[in-house]
Amino acid sequence: MPRIDSHVHVFAKPSAEFPRETDALAPAELEAPVENLLAEMDAHRIDRAILVQLGGEEIEHHAYLLHCLKTYPDRFLGIGTIPADISDPAPHMDKLCQETGIIGFRLFSIGGPKDPFAQIDVRNFKSYRIWEHAAAQGYLISLYARAVDAHLIPYLLEAFPQLRIAINHLGVCPGKGKFSIDAKGRPHVETPMYNPAFHSTHRLARYENVMLQLSGQYAFSAEAYPYRDLTGWHQHIMGIYGAARLMWASDFPWIQKDPGYGQLKNIIKELLPNLSDDEYDDIMGGTAARFFQFAD
Amino acid sequence: MSKSIESQRTQWEEDGYLVFDNAIQGEELARLQRAFDYWADQCKSDWLMRVEAGEAVSTFYDIPGVFEKDEIFVDLVDHPSYYPTLKAVTDGEVIFMSPQARTVPAWPVTYSGWHPDVPHTHPLHIKVQVYVNDVDPRCGEFAFVPGSHKPDAGPYSKVNRLESMPSHKTFPGGAGTAIMFNSYGWHAAMDNPTGTPRKSVILIYEKYTPNRVPSGAHASIAHYCTTPERRRLFSLGE
Repeated sequence: MPRIDSHVHVFAKPSAEFPRETDALAPAELEAPVENLLAEMDAHRIDRAILVQLGGEEIEHHAYLLHCLKTYPDRFLGIGTIPADISDPAPHMDKLCQETGIIGFRLFSIGGPKDPFAQIDVRNFKSYRIWEHAAAQGYLISLYARAVDAHLIPYLLEAFPQLRIAINHLGVCPGKGKFSIDAKGRPHVETPMYNPAFHSTHRLARYENVMLQLSGQYAFSAEAYPYRDLTGWHQHIMGIYGAARLMWASDFPWIQKDPGYGQLKNIIKELLPNLSDDEYDDIMGGTAARFFQFAD
Repeated sequence: MSKSIESQRTQWEEDGYLVFDNAIQGEELARLQRAFDYWADQCKSDWLMRVEAGEAVSTFYDIPGVFEKDEIFVDLVDHPSYYPTLKAVTDGEVIFMSPQARTVPAWPVTYSGWHPDVPHTHPLHIKVQVYVNDVDPRCGEFAFVPGSHKPDAGPYSKVNRLESMPSHKTFPGGAGTAIMFNSYGWHAAMDNPTGTPRKSVILIYEKYTPNRVPSGAHASIAHYCTTPERRRLFSLGE
């Protein structure tokens, strides 16, 4: 059974060859070279990974991601990004996916009514045309929705049942003002232990085209590795989604120093110690192999 | 115990639930609806801000501190329509834990799938759900698996399609209907794709065990609790 890391980031220092946006999380002096990731993967017997764009949503910002996919086509597939309110998404999406190894797009915003009591028409969502084009072309959606959008997701799942969706980072939908960067330079998301996701993204398991990624623990936990305060979240997700719908991810590079890639590889055994061998294999790569459709 | 309550107790022990049609009616129901709607509206903007901040769930909200908002909510706790039955099934040792005055917007998916609330190691745990508006089929109505409260029942699995749960029963009902259920049993709120929110008051009780409710937890409504029975029910001391 393959071992697949279903969500990682690599990026270069900004340059003419590899332009990217900078921010507090990924300042200009910071880089996460793909060779570092490959070294970790090889050391810990991870066969493949999904490279998720970081550093800007414009096509030119994807230069380093495209370079990595072209250089190591047997190891990686890619997820691009796109402005959620782009008026005509098709050219952007098609150009990035044209024999590049990019197979889908990560979204942070849906752009519908904030009020869950509002009348819903998905065609009025700002991101609707992205979803529509993804469904038409077979691109997948990697979703890290904000709390204000959590209630909108199932309306899109009803509209596009053929679309493949990966819900990032334990289904958490971060709240406005709850993002920060911790002392180790990693994302931190203040999240209540009674996680609102229990009643939103975790309820989406009925949609068989939805997978959920077990990742980002470091950003939500109040404890050091192995983040045992999140054991209940993992058990809850496992009980609802089942291993055939779950995918492990390291969220490299944010975990490279603390707790370390090897530790993160073991987190599923730490937080879900009673899995069968088959269930473990699914979470560590089987589900991702099916979902991302890696070529054999 | 009256014969009626005896038969209710038999059904309670066998099925784990009881339905009280028209438990609240007439002017009392109208007053409950007015109070509920007023306070739900008053609290909504704060809830929406908390949703956006990631601090609250987007798929339902409760009126906070509802007992302090209107006495009608306190009166539901020992309402004569079901309170004698509550006492009967707890051998007269019922205590009140907490209320949830809950509005559930329509959503393609249930906000709460099949689950029991507590294990059998927990003291007997009972909820009474009072519908504030009419709850038609496929409007988020309560559902329960009869007999699932028994220690030897099951095992049950968390089926993602609610209607796939074997032997379940759904409980649409008119405004004022009260459904009392044993929380050891598997229950859910059915899907509500209709556009009509479900409004209900969920009252949580337990069979008395010492120190379950901190002294003073309900102190803010002590002025409503002038009889020894109410003071016991709300753990306010003699």
